[in-house]
Amino acid sequence: MKRYDLIIIGAGPAGLSAAIEAAKRGVKVIVFDENAKPGGQLFKQIHKFFGSKEHKAKIRGFKIGEELLQEANHYGVEVVLNAIVAGLYLDKEITVQIGDEILHYKGDAIIVATGASENMVPFAGWTLPGVIGAGAAQTMMNLHSIKPGNRVLMLGSGNVGLVVSFQLMQAGCEVVALVDAAPKVGGYGVHASKVARCGVPFYLSHTIIKAEGEEFVTGVTLGEVNSSWQIIPGTEKHFAVDTICLAVGLSPMSQLLSMAGCQMQDTPGGFVPVCAESGETSISGIFAAGDVSGIEEASSAMIEGRISGLAAAEYLGFITGEELAGLSKELEKALQCLREGMFAPENRGQTIAKTDEGIEVSHTLLKKGYVDESEILRFPGIAKASGIHPVIECTQNIPCNPCQDVCPKKCIKIGDKMTALPAIDPERECSGCGLCVASCPGQAIFLVNEEYEPGLASITIPYEFLPLPVAGDKGKALDRKGKEVSLAEVTTVRTAKAFDQTNLLTIKVPADAAMKVRFFRSLEAEPWVK
Amino acid sequence: MGKIKDRLTPIGEFVPQPDDDMIICRCEEITKGEIRQAIHDGMFTLTEIRRFLRAGMGLCQGQTCTRLVKGMIARELGISPLEVEPAAARAPMRPIKMIVLGNEGKES
Amino acid sequence: MGYRADVIIIGGGIIGNSTAYYLAQKGCSVIVLEKSDYIGNGGSSRNGGGVRQSGRDKRELPLAMYGVKHLWPNLSEELEMDVEYYQQGNLRLGKTEAHIKTLAGLTERAASLGLDVKMIDQAEAKAINPYLSAEVMGASWCPTDGHANPMLATLAYYRKARELGVRFMTGEEVAEIKKIKGKARQVVTTEDVYEGDTIILAAGYDSRDIAATVGIDVPMTRALLEVLVTEAQPAMFYQMLGTAAADFYGHQSTHGSFVFGGTSGLEDVNKDNGTPVTNSITASCICRGIMNYFPCLSDAKIVRTWAGWIDVCVDHVPVISPVEEVPGLILACAFSGHGFGIAPTVGTLLAQMAVGEAPVLDVSDFRYDRFKAKL
Repeated sequence: MKRYDLIIIGAGPAGLSAAIEAAKRGVKVIVFDENAKPGGQLFKQIHKFFGSKEHKAKIRGFKIGEELLQEANHYGVEVVLNAIVAGLYLDKEITVQIGDEILHYKGDAIIVATGASENMVPFAGWTLPGVIGAGAAQTMMNLHSIKPGNRVLMLGSGNVGLVVSFQLMQAGCEVVALVDAAPKVGGYGVHASKVARCGVPFYLSHTIIKAEGEEFVTGVTLGEVNSSWQIIPGTEKHFAVDTICLAVGLSPMSQLLSMAGCQMQDTPGGFVPVCAESGETSISGIFAAGDVSGIEEASSAMIEGRISGLAAAEYLGFITGEELAGLSKELEKALQCLREGMFAPENRGQTIAKTDEGIEVSHTLLKKGYVDESEILRFPGIAKASGIHPVIECTQNIPCNPCQDVCPKKCIKIGDKMTALPAIDPERECSGCGLCVASCPGQAIFLVNEEYEPGLASITIPYEFLPLPVAGDKGKALDRKGKEVSLAEVTTVRTAKAFDQTNLLTIKVPADAAMKVRFFRSLEAEPWVK
Repeated sequence: MGKIKDRLTPIGEFVPQPDDDMIICRCEEITKGEIRQAIHDGMFTLTEIRRFLRAGMGLCQGQTCTRLVKGMIARELGISPLEVEPAAARAPMRPIKMIVLGNEGKES
Repeated sequence: MGYRADVIIIGGGIIGNSTAYYLAQKGCSVIVLEKSDYIGNGGSSRNGGGVRQSGRDKRELPLAMYGVKHLWPNLSEELEMDVEYYQQGNLRLGKTEAHIKTLAGLTERAASLGLDVKMIDQAEAKAINPYLSAEVMGASWCPTDGHANPMLATLAYYRKARELGVRFMTGEEVAEIKKIKGKARQVVTTEDVYEGDTIILAAGYDSRDIAATVGIDVPMTRALLEVLVTEAQPAMFYQMLGTAAADFYGHQSTHGSFVFGGTSGLEDVNKDNGTPVTNSITASCICRGIMNYFPCLSDAKIVRTWAGWIDVCVDHVPVISPVEEVPGLILACAFSGHGFGIAPTVGTLLAQMAVGEAPVLDVSDFRYDRFKAKL
């Protein structure tokens, strides 16, 4: 039987990262993936990633995927696509369907990095065509250039629901509402704010009562839920939609590990293998990495993959235990960084009243998806200054610091603890270069100049919609909840390689609207409403 | 309360619900009402529900409905979904045509 | 806590469940102890569903014939649940002269015992089942054989017995049977003690270890067999199938899926990891076997495979027997993969034995002490 040092199942962020680290140490690695393209979910991620440099922060997911593939090729990793692993049997044997054959392979070590699948939630009409997973919508848009629908309702306010809502609008869909049965927004506030400022209403403590339609979805009825998740009579709301997107969590696809006989545990986050820090399961030489061992972000999956790849190399005798310890140390530190802050695993389900800095969190953000004007001033990213200056509306402790790294003038301070809120250093002068605006994965940084012209302020916003406005375009200046504040005129549109396709739109608005306006909708084209 | 060992443990009468006709297992077209009724007929575990109704035994092998069925069992029995066992994982992970499964490649 | 009942049954498979049901009907109080967390978790849920008389050892044949005549036809009605019983015959197929010879021998023996079974040629076989490959030369044909859904039949007995007040305890692993004043009376589990006037041991292969606690041995081993199931196909045929070469056996279910069991030939020495795991080569082997006879199923997709242990008696015939030296104990084990089809009959007999009635059939061929040295 054909045997490899290491068989990796899944060529997503975890699997590829594992393959790279193992192959670097001389391990003969083969990676099987059931999809036609490698990269797992990475190639659907058109947004910029959070984190810091070592987490590839501010790089878009699909570019990270390309980098990983190049690196894997460079180290001679064999990636077999359209290869469905059918079973993981005794003696670390797998069967793989490739074309019209079933092939048997054995690995001296095996890393299972099969990722996760989308959860569904049942309601009347949930099986109608038009009810789709948010991940499916993302696949349609970002891999196959297919618009999933025209009028979409999103259920789920976690990061997936928020990110996909934004991407749906980028693809030209109208998102009519973002709904979650939980009483507060589950994902990053900055992601929510991006969606809210486009005018999408948030309905927290609401759920879908029914999807309407005979042959396909034609509408949806929501209702408000009480604290025991029961619909409160009389709270029904109806929307005409053709698509309902469900972003209600992911479940690890851990069946191969379970079949292999690895010790498993059932957790609120799904059925996962019991793993050591290296990812090794209860069966010596079988490892798990990425979402299959517990749902996290792709950034974490890549680090977990690297650690398990190194651990497999050590298991196979290609590196020593000391080498493994040395190499894993930095990676584990980086992984730990991603698991800190308000969204850390141990904070799941907790109510956090104050930031690490002792600032009361924005309640509007948790209920409506945006920080209210009355709340924003208490955060350290907001500082009054004359002339052009950044306004950083980043109000939650999340592990992310590209803004600090990128500012050539060192105006932005986060410090060593990357979950700290970014603060403006009033001693330093902003040059208005806009790098911070473009680099913020949460699109939460704006350049404001209250004294742009007499009675007029300029606001520079990150803008990722097409068609791109041009200088002189007139439009509506929208506030944080997407409500029109005033008329606005585009003064400049900047694009640069360093901005990586985040365009900087500078608009001028009445001076008293400077701390209200955070988005622009062109009168010529309303890009997300066709 | 944990797992129920004694299958005579009373769990209350089966009370019809307005959405009992809602499909839960799409592959095998099993409704919420059928699953709830099966639980009241003594099928206190996911494994028994699967064998009794085929819920979760179709083309997707329960990838979609397992969580939902576990939740329903937990609700009817008044236990935590974590007390309901996970689905057994069995090869093949994806449906395979007989002609393919029977065609073991030469490399093996 | 301590429970007591007229009869304690060890094993919540179809033998235990059917016995519990028939006992409850007689007004007995019954407790069934199942080691796993699930009812019917052993061979009862993991078999091909054959309700056959043909191909049986002559000692088993009366049990099979009794069931087919008196019990299976009304079982769905009686248990108020469709157990998907089809009495549309059994085709045992042959592709070579040697196969035909084997089948003819089996047929002759069964016919001489009064079973309606005969050899048929290729054309007759094709007339019964037009999907057969041209390679099939002939078959033995038993028109009164059939099949049922083993999971549903097992759970149907459970459901009805439970409705009649039988107490099923799952996750109850039996540590020992304890004699009190010379009589089997207590069943001690890892968590509790159960007391009964009669104890029926129907725990598959585990019966061997449990019987040993009262100094009884049944010479059996176990083998891991595999089954696979296809996605639903259009309704094609409802005969039970088997082959002279034992390539596979199975049937199409009401649902449309085909359920096929089979072997790779290595079962006797298969290893496992403590749970019944499938082997990497068996399902492929079964597929090849099926396609030799039914090429039209080549594109049917396999959605699932599973394995189950059968308890194999040294002479491949079950032990259904009171144990006089351990009064109060009745053995019902070592079914050797033949238990499902005869389960209603065996349940009926065991219930009669437990209440002291004369069993409707002679069970002396199944005695626990029939095993002798060869010289």
